[in-house]
Amino acid sequence: MIGSRHAPERVDAVGTVRLDKRGPEAAPWAVDAVGVGKTFRTTSRSVEALQSMDLRMREGEFVCIVGPSGCGKSTFLRIVAGLLPQTSGTLRLRTRSDAIVPIATVFQDYGIFPWKTVLSNVMFGLRVNGVARRESRERARHWLGRTGLSDFADSYPATLSGGMRQRVGIARALAVEPAVLLMDEPFAALDAQLREILQEELLAICEADRRTVIFVTHSLEEALVLGDRVCVMSARPGRLLAERVVPFERPRDRHLRESPQFGAMRAELWDLLRGEVEPQRAAHAVGGVRP
Amino acid sequence: MTVDQRTAPSEVTLIETVRPRVGLEASKSRVRRQVWLERGLAIGLPLAAIALWQLASDQAWIDSRLYPAPTTIVDEGWHLLVDGRLLGDIQASLYRILVGLAIGATCGLVVGTAMGVSRTLRAALEPTLNAIYVVPKIALLPVFLTILGLGEAPKLALVGVTVFFFVWVETMETMANVPEGFREAGRSFGVSQLGMLRHVLGPAALPQIFVGLRVAMSVAVMVNTAAEFIVGDDGIGYLIFNARALFAVDRMYVGIVVVALLGMLLTALIGAVGRWLTPWHQSSTRIR
Ligand SMILES: Nc1ncnc2c1ncn2[C@@H]1O[C@H](COP(=O)(O)OP(=O)(O)O)[C@@H](O)[C@H]1O
Ligand SMILES: [Mg+2]
Repeated sequence: MIGSRHAPERVDAVGTVRLDKRGPEAAPWAVDAVGVGKTFRTTSRSVEALQSMDLRMREGEFVCIVGPSGCGKSTFLRIVAGLLPQTSGTLRLRTRSDAIVPIATVFQDYGIFPWKTVLSNVMFGLRVNGVARRESRERARHWLGRTGLSDFADSYPATLSGGMRQRVGIARALAVEPAVLLMDEPFAALDAQLREILQEELLAICEADRRTVIFVTHSLEEALVLGDRVCVMSARPGRLLAERVVPFERPRDRHLRESPQFGAMRAELWDLLRGEVEPQRAAHAVGGVRP
Repeated sequence: MTVDQRTAPSEVTLIETVRPRVGLEASKSRVRRQVWLERGLAIGLPLAAIALWQLASDQAWIDSRLYPAPTTIVDEGWHLLVDGRLLGDIQASLYRILVGLAIGATCGLVVGTAMGVSRTLRAALEPTLNAIYVVPKIALLPVFLTILGLGEAPKLALVGVTVFFFVWVETMETMANVPEGFREAGRSFGVSQLGMLRHVLGPAALPQIFVGLRVAMSVAVMVNTAAEFIVGDDGIGYLIFNARALFAVDRMYVGIVVVALLGMLLTALIGAVGRWLTPWHQSSTRIR
């Protein structure tokens, strides 16, 4: 397959990736994806959802992935989560052998189970992996506390607001203490104010004890507020277009957004992304399809 | 869309509107009044119909030998109850319905689950089962009578088969259509196949399974009554049919009323068990 594996020079990485800001000098690698691609094949046709994704992450690194919708971000996360096999490229993960769930995912919707109470939802990952009920409950309660859900332990998700529901999803993923946490546009359905609050909460949690996170978002601001590094993907079929190290000190606070450097980085990323979103729009405008 | 520009500026007058305010107390009592009205209608309407029937019978507007008055039916029912005959028939029918339901629902759950989970199994069995699904089950009674003799077995089989199809179809359809997102969430935590059934597919399908069970229950009462018309010498169905043969019209109506009440009671029971087992469903759909 020609062109399925992208040429390395396409990645215009800015210098070496600096992780030292938040961790020990040379943190060992945790995720190593090289040319990971996925083509969906049905009986009638095949769709190249992801062309070639490269991502090398150190332990404790927080990477945000942005890209036009439909470019294969979710597909990439599914591959990393082990929910879907890739059709090209290699993916290596380094996780502890004693992890209950090495890789946990927070989904945008349908994540949490409406038929389980908040507490049971958070206990789910532990219970199905053989953690005793008592211990599961204790751990779940700890995470309910840290996500501000203690008062809702016995509620059903249907009675909660969108923000609370997404907190349940986060608590459920964190309760299994995953080595790698995957988040697929977790705040996309929330209103702007709530999104900022949840971003702050996530920052606090992740800065308290560092963990390896891949966070997919379509919001450049969100990516810059949360990430150590931002990866920009091309339009479908997706490949890594560029990556930028986010230079802001941690712990970060909400005033970060107002700094001129933040605005400049946002503009730079938008310039990269615009080129990917625009051609699609132009093609739609004339009723055509991208070749 | 066109913009209406017919009014010259001089013709425009200002209209002040003040929306009336309804205090919290007033709106609360209005809601309460609505609830009482609905309840009153639900009970009052059938009561009024019965009263009218009684009146029509007393006034000889209708032939009370063909349409006995409600009081006559209650009287007759009381007599049958006291001499023990009625209870025996209720017991016989209840036994058939409940045992048939248990057998049919169990088989329906097992087959429905297996087919809901396995695409291959669905492909293999669904067309055949769908074809049998549309056969009126009562038409199978002669077959069961031929195979199983004249005892309890053919009636249990008939009720069982009827219930089976309703439970099977609901279980299979809902399990097969549980949104991929839920399965994925389950798999992402490494849930086993059995765990998937217990934590994800089962509970996801449960509310709909109870919908199937409720329908199954009312149809079970129906086919059982019909079967009792045809074979055997006890049960409410037999009571009704036998009364007709003896031209004991009062007794016939007692049987009809009893079977109606039985059906109502049993489906309400299924509904209650369903609500108890699916509290999340209730809390998300019930109007408070
Ligand atoms: N199971 C599937 N079968 C066929 N095509 C799929 C499947 N899942 C995703 N796709 C296609 O792959 C592309 C990428 O999807 P996705 O990874 O969900 O994009 P993103 O998350 O970046 O918006 C889309 O065009 C989508 O239609
Ligand atoms: Mg997506």
